[in-house]
Amino acid sequence: MLIPLSDEEIDALIRERKTTPRALFPLRLVEHNKHRRRDCEVKSASGNEFVIAIRQSVIDGLNFSVILMHRRPGFNTLFRLRRYNGMHGEHTNEIEGNKLDDFHVHTATERYQKLGAKEDSFAEATSRHWNLDSAIRCMLEDCGFDSAPPSPQIPFSFPGQTP
Amino acid sequence: MNLSSIQEDFKKTVCAQIELKPQGTDRFLVKTPFRFEDGDHFVIALKRESDGWILTDEANTIMHLSYWMDTDVIESGNRKEIVDSSLSTFSVENRDGELVIPVTDERFGDALFNFVQALTKVTDISFLSRERVRSTFMEDLRVFLKSKVPEQRLQLNWQDEKRDPAGKYTVDFRINHMKRPLFIYGVPGEDKMRDATISLLTFERWGLKNQSLGVFEDQMSLPRKPLARFTDVVGKTLSDFEQDNRERLGSLLDEVLQEGEGEKKET
Repeated sequence: MLIPLSDEEIDALIRERKTTPRALFPLRLVEHNKHRRRDCEVKSASGNEFVIAIRQSVIDGLNFSVILMHRRPGFNTLFRLRRYNGMHGEHTNEIEGNKLDDFHVHTATERYQKLGAKEDSFAEATSRHWNLDSAIRCMLEDCGFDSAPPSPQIPFSFPGQTP
Repeated sequence: MNLSSIQEDFKKTVCAQIELKPQGTDRFLVKTPFRFEDGDHFVIALKRESDGWILTDEANTIMHLSYWMDTDVIESGNRKEIVDSSLSTFSVENRDGELVIPVTDERFGDALFNFVQALTKVTDISFLSRERVRSTFMEDLRVFLKSKVPEQRLQLNWQDEKRDPAGKYTVDFRINHMKRPLFIYGVPGEDKMRDATISLLTFERWGLKNQSLGVFEDQMSLPRKPLARFTDVVGKTLSDFEQDNRERLGSLLDEVLQEGEGEKKET
């Protein structure tokens, strides 16, 4: 069995200082399988490697995810530290036994890893983000990134649109 | 509790957890208790199309899978076969990433059951991409060969400098000083197997004398058709690199090296 990351280790990785990737401004998403996507690599000063993954449904623009993942040395998959989700439908926290039906934020926890579930199975409802743009900003603010441009200056663009 | 009350409880509990929520014109969100491994519920929408009703995941399932795995891998090879068969078993269509089941003869309940089963099977594909410690197979093979083959007779990542200066067709390990040098490929997965097949076919076309060996990390995990193509062009194979086959490889190398000593040397 893989050794789970403790809550303290997860928190340290989330808070570690990181440089905001230039690829977010302007954000250009590529469409495939009826969703738009972009992955950005981030390396911190300490040498830790992260990936920001952005996904948005073409059919339902409120169904999106902004994910901060850590590339654990020696492992073949990425560890999802935080995930800022849109309003895609319900989410159930198995351990806490509660259900959400709103914009929400997933956070990796030690207890869900020990349960054998996905590490980011715990989620909390939020009113801090309400679309993809604000979800990206919340992720940058919460996860140790240097400052992002204020909202109106972020020129997001989608295929076929001028940034 | 008697059987009829248990049955009643099943019906009440299952039915109570399914809810239809209107959202837009001729579109309803179907709320169910069925969910992904991370607790997010499946997205299921009931929509009217020109010729009837459909249930659709609105392209959520494959997008959700992309949080955990490279979804390009489900567009080819073994995983594609599994996904295609899961969908066809339950009459679900894949419309460019959107999974859809038509509701026939107004059998909404049957369509929902089939759809949920298909979504569950498709999401199970992520079990094939479980986190694991990165394979040390190629490194183990390299260390093993270096321990068995004299340094001057073992070339790593060999290419034919005259015919292929760009190094498009390489050999992982070439044992030289023989009329027919031994080309050894380590095969950890499908991509590598395809590359090795192309290289061996190219050598055949060039008339390059060689004997060849493919060592699989796990032959059983590879798709049949590409495997058949590889075994058609490679001389010998070992199905894995466990202890028994390490001994077989050791014996084979001893024979080849002795054979090479008796031959007119060729570099």
